[in-house]
Amino acid sequence: MADRKDQAFGHLDLLKIQADTRRHFLGWGAGGLGALFMHGAFAAPAGENAPLNFNRNPATPLSVLPPQFPAKVKRVIYLHMGGSPSQLELFDHKPILAKFHGHDCPESFIKGKRLAFIQGIPKLLGPMFPFHRAGKSGTWISDRLPHLEGAIDDLCIIKSMKTDQFNHAPAQLLVHTGDPRTGHASLGSWVTYGLGSENQNLPGFIVLISNGGTTANAGKPLWGSGFLPSVYQGVACRSAGEPVLFLDNPKSVSRAERRKVLDAVDEINQQTYREFGNPETVTRIAQYEMAFRMQLEASDAMDIHREPKAVLERYGAEPGKTSYANNCLVARRLAERGVRYIQLYHWGWDSHGTPVDEGLNVGLVKRCRETDQPTAALLADLKSRGLLEDTLIVWGGEFGRTPMWENRGGQEMEFIGRDHHPNCFSIWLAGGGVKRGISYGETDDMGYEIARNPVELRDLHATMLYLLGFDHRRLNYSYQGLDQKLTGVKPARIVSEILA
Amino acid sequence: MGDSGISGRRSGHLSAFVYFSCVALLTLAGVGLAMLTRPAFGHDMLQWIGLESVPQAQATSFYARRVAPVFETHCTSCHGDKRQKSDLRLDSFAAVLRGGKHDAVIHPGDVKNSELLVRISLPALDDRAMPPSGKTPLTEDEKTVIKLWIAHGASGSLRDIPGAPKPVVEVEIPKLDPARTEKQRAPLAAQMLRLQKRFPGVITYEARDSADLEIDASLKGRSFGDADLQALSPLAARIVAANLSGTAVGDASAPVLAAMVRLKSLRLSGTKVSDATIHALDEAKTLRSVTVVDTSVTARALAPLRARGVAVYGGGDGP
Repeated sequence: MADRKDQAFGHLDLLKIQADTRRHFLGWGAGGLGALFMHGAFAAPAGENAPLNFNRNPATPLSVLPPQFPAKVKRVIYLHMGGSPSQLELFDHKPILAKFHGHDCPESFIKGKRLAFIQGIPKLLGPMFPFHRAGKSGTWISDRLPHLEGAIDDLCIIKSMKTDQFNHAPAQLLVHTGDPRTGHASLGSWVTYGLGSENQNLPGFIVLISNGGTTANAGKPLWGSGFLPSVYQGVACRSAGEPVLFLDNPKSVSRAERRKVLDAVDEINQQTYREFGNPETVTRIAQYEMAFRMQLEASDAMDIHREPKAVLERYGAEPGKTSYANNCLVARRLAERGVRYIQLYHWGWDSHGTPVDEGLNVGLVKRCRETDQPTAALLADLKSRGLLEDTLIVWGGEFGRTPMWENRGGQEMEFIGRDHHPNCFSIWLAGGGVKRGISYGETDDMGYEIARNPVELRDLHATMLYLLGFDHRRLNYSYQGLDQKLTGVKPARIVSEILA
Repeated sequence: MGDSGISGRRSGHLSAFVYFSCVALLTLAGVGLAMLTRPAFGHDMLQWIGLESVPQAQATSFYARRVAPVFETHCTSCHGDKRQKSDLRLDSFAAVLRGGKHDAVIHPGDVKNSELLVRISLPALDDRAMPPSGKTPLTEDEKTVIKLWIAHGASGSLRDIPGAPKPVVEVEIPKLDPARTEKQRAPLAAQMLRLQKRFPGVITYEARDSADLEIDASLKGRSFGDADLQALSPLAARIVAANLSGTAVGDASAPVLAAMVRLKSLRLSGTKVSDATIHALDEAKTLRSVTVVDTSVTARALAPLRARGVAVYGGGDGP
């Protein structure tokens, strides 16, 4: 016990030393006298404005901490459609754009603007698929998502998302870390840092990837912990074969033998920690121990063989394969096992129309077929098990697509496509604390700009953290002289209109 | 000669009266000219000497609640106390009505000739558009609010305008009061510590600002049974959420569950509980959701809960 206490104090001391930078020293030099004088007037904020304390015993860095205020949801399942699906073919109904199909695009759309690939004066491209109203809410949806349509009254569609990035990697980083550059902590890392994980035998933040032929543009920093301790980073698991590579013991090594090896390694790490006091050493010990526990738990959580045939069919899951359907089913199993943040990536939505698989008329149709049924099954499954009440599901890409027909190099292209469009895109949320069966925000008649209720990504982040029980301004980590936060330095707004 | 010389010199002097008259005339002419060329200055003068009353908007008026905040968000950084581009200020009711160096920007009741509305309605690329290109344009709702306000006479007293877009509600973050929370937690703090040590990870406070508790034994599986839940009963009155899914808990725990008088959410999926436990929940008035997937609980037993508006998952006719 005393040893643990020492560890905790050592950890705090080290953090304090690390936090004292040259800037602090110079600041004190210049302002020290003034500070002494003004001390009474500007005493450190206490009570309601004091920084929240996220200190834990470094040996159990994922232990559960209560949220700032009672939360609406306990976990998040984020379904990222990598490459960015076209909102104009799925959720954003634009009959007037259809009327102008084939016309030259207005000069104001392109004058002085920089687009990713479009050159010269492109033609307008009307919606490729028919739209209709669905559900009791009468929400507009295209005919490409027949299964999701069944759950339309559970969705909260935001049609007025905007971003300031028009290339995949920075746009994806902005979605998942709040910043277009690498080095920032991802949403899942912030959430596990703030709340810990209910299940100490599984990582609190798990990433599942499908359609890996086209990999993540921004790569692993999408689930990296950035400046947060590395224990909070996402762990990418596979839905076929060993869930985590190199987690299982080699063939001739028994579990007891592995335990002995770990004990020896732990002992050496403890010595190193006593000598240098770096909390990352304790984190390392904790991670070895978790990996040992995961050997049993992770295989069980990922193993969808145990699911009844009817369930597999509902998802369209086929055990032994790597697919979005399998990942959706695994996501439900992880949600049941107390995993805090479950991130799915399904790639291949980048519908430029350059190769055939990127055509709106081919690639997008395939992606819809791969994802529609499993997504709807996940929603229905969570709902019937009472889990949708305290789970938040987010679906979306990293930006939108242009109402203009892409003409790469100024040429008409063989397959039909749309360029990257940061000005507006559609996402949907479902689950605890969010209104059901509503559409929020509007784009203009051409689907080019937001006409009503714009939502920045930082607003989405602030809203997600609010649902998880945090004021986004107070989920902080001190780094480089700043109280870092997910939403960055620009003001973010909790989108109160979509809260139930 | 000498006299006339003296008198001539005298006649060359202006009398004090004439002198001060001239100064006053020039001053008035100057002020008058300034008032003509800069109406804002004119009103300032008139209001300053009390010849004109300063228009005030009531705090409860549509203007104060809905219009002024829009100006504050989008306009006053250039048309406010720090800068007054085109001599226009939009940071008070009087200044808004007064306008700038190009005359009034608002004509009450006359939407078409109100320059302010014209400017904020121009397409973003227009050189005359306000706010200028690069700044955040007004939302459609904000434009509508200003338009309706002008159309209804740009009043400072009118309270509500029918058909106005709904005001945006900002989320209020509950304020933390650690001292108060600690006080609320104190009576059960010792018990809580002891039980947290005995059942690691099972009991947590609902939030940092709360003394209410959540219990989750679902990850303990069959190793958590009726006796263990019984051990938590000293905390029962504080428990607002209980997840016992997959545990060995059965109907013997019904009295403990019934003692959780503030329970909002109860999960019993995959347990041996039956209708008897559900009947014991009749008094749980705060209950909002019950999950009994994969149990022997029947739809009949759940009917009263459903009738009360409790969300029920599983059980009998459950999916």
